[in-house]
Amino acid sequence: MASTERPEGRGMGDRIYDAIFHSYFWQSIFRSGYPNTPRNQMLAVATNVFLHLHPTRIHRTHVKITHTYCLGGLSFFLFLGLTITGVLLMFYYVPSVERAYEDIMRLETDVRFGILMRNLHRWMAHGMVIMVLMHMMRVFYTGAYKPPREFNWVVGVVLLVLTLLLSFTGYLLPWDQLAFWAITVGTNMVGSAPLLGEPNRFALIGGFEVGPNALIRFYTLHVIALPLLASVFMAVHFWRIRRDGGLARPL
Amino acid sequence: MVAAAQENATSTAVRAKARRQRDEELLVWPDLVFVEFIAAMVFLLSLTALSIAINAPLLDRANPGVTPNPSKAPWYFLNLQELLLHMDPALAGVVVPTIALIALGAIPYFDNTHDGQGEWLSTPRAGRLTFLGAAVGSIGTILLILYDASKHVVIFEGLTGSKWPVGLNFLRTSRALQNDLPWPEWSKKIPLGDFIPSTQLGLPKIVLDLNIAEFLVAQIIPVSTMVGLPILMSIVLWKTGVAKTRRDHMIAQFSGFIAVFIVLTIVGTAFRGQGMELLPPWLVKPPIS
Repeated sequence: MASTERPEGRGMGDRIYDAIFHSYFWQSIFRSGYPNTPRNQMLAVATNVFLHLHPTRIHRTHVKITHTYCLGGLSFFLFLGLTITGVLLMFYYVPSVERAYEDIMRLETDVRFGILMRNLHRWMAHGMVIMVLMHMMRVFYTGAYKPPREFNWVVGVVLLVLTLLLSFTGYLLPWDQLAFWAITVGTNMVGSAPLLGEPNRFALIGGFEVGPNALIRFYTLHVIALPLLASVFMAVHFWRIRRDGGLARPL
Repeated sequence: MVAAAQENATSTAVRAKARRQRDEELLVWPDLVFVEFIAAMVFLLSLTALSIAINAPLLDRANPGVTPNPSKAPWYFLNLQELLLHMDPALAGVVVPTIALIALGAIPYFDNTHDGQGEWLSTPRAGRLTFLGAAVGSIGTILLILYDASKHVVIFEGLTGSKWPVGLNFLRTSRALQNDLPWPEWSKKIPLGDFIPSTQLGLPKIVLDLNIAEFLVAQIIPVSTMVGLPILMSIVLWKTGVAKTRRDHMIAQFSGFIAVFIVLTIVGTAFRGQGMELLPPWLVKPPIS
């Protein structure tokens, strides 16, 4: 008896795949599948809230790693990493002279992954200062500050200052000898300015010497005021890159 | 008729140029997004590895009564702390960084040509000027620091075997100009405050005593060095024809600035021991309380 060719049933793998990726729930999150045509890839970038910072197409020289070394992007990445580790550190840290140092000790000994979070936060902070400085050098040597990008360079200089201030205000928080004396030396420099130096120093540390007031001021600046300010300037910085046609090209 | 043909030719050329540019472009997904993702992952993993390997420092609890020697600011401010050793604190700690930041922000407004835009060091003399600027900045800074630490005296005494002449003691450091020259007594305290008629306005009397030697050492010499040497460099580069355009001068100046910044940071971090004495790094001991 001649056998009739019958279509094979769908295998287990296909059915699991469908159950996950073609489910009502999945498709309510990701409205289309993996973008595998140029049109869909451009749509994926243009319609995604996180990716739409990018243009959909980019000149091939700008994709080369040696053109930017990703320095600006990595500065932003470190800012995000510092925000996440910083929020985790805030769970355990109280900015009072009585508790600050003990909280850091406890973080290192009693909290699971506490020391890892603190180390990450510290090394990312140093890394961000270095990345921002190197990004500035990259922009200079590729002549990327030239018209119409003059003001975005100025915004970048403001972000450099904010990065240094973020790092400096965070330096005091562990309340150990290193922190205390580094901030004393640093704020004494502010105090030496002609006329406005001493009032500025007083406003910054909330007294004549580094103490409880300085700690709470530096903490507030470090965890909310400066990050918010930096976010605003970053938004302007990124927006203007897009408005000015992306990365600079030779004319 | 001719005009129409010309216009047609132009628009064809423009269209062709646009097409060529489009051919040069890649899609952000996947060509850029994946590069960014990989860069982020490489950094995340290496920073995690670093954090597992090296712990962030934590010294004894803060004690305002015990001053470590030396007390240093965070590393990115050690360049300023290094400057502090050579000039008036207000100048080093506030005026210089403020002016440096303003000058940095003003770069695009001076160098607003399109020379060298969008490519690494693409103007003809860019590489050479980067090198020259960095060399002048770093060597000049190192020489000035060595001079202020009297290392030229050490070299002189080592080479000749004789003592530094007493008559030249005022050339030991820049501060020696004040201490080892016979400044007349009147020049040490000129009450400038007397010339300000603040009392007539009902304000407290302003005390402003000028010490000419002190002013020379702490203000005039540092300012003329920091302003004069970069200008001198640009003049020499211009006269010798090494720097021709605004971009050329800007590359030399910026490279010089970065070199000075890096040298000051390294010297302040690794070469300053107790009492901020200039030492080779292997003799710099951790701070003592």
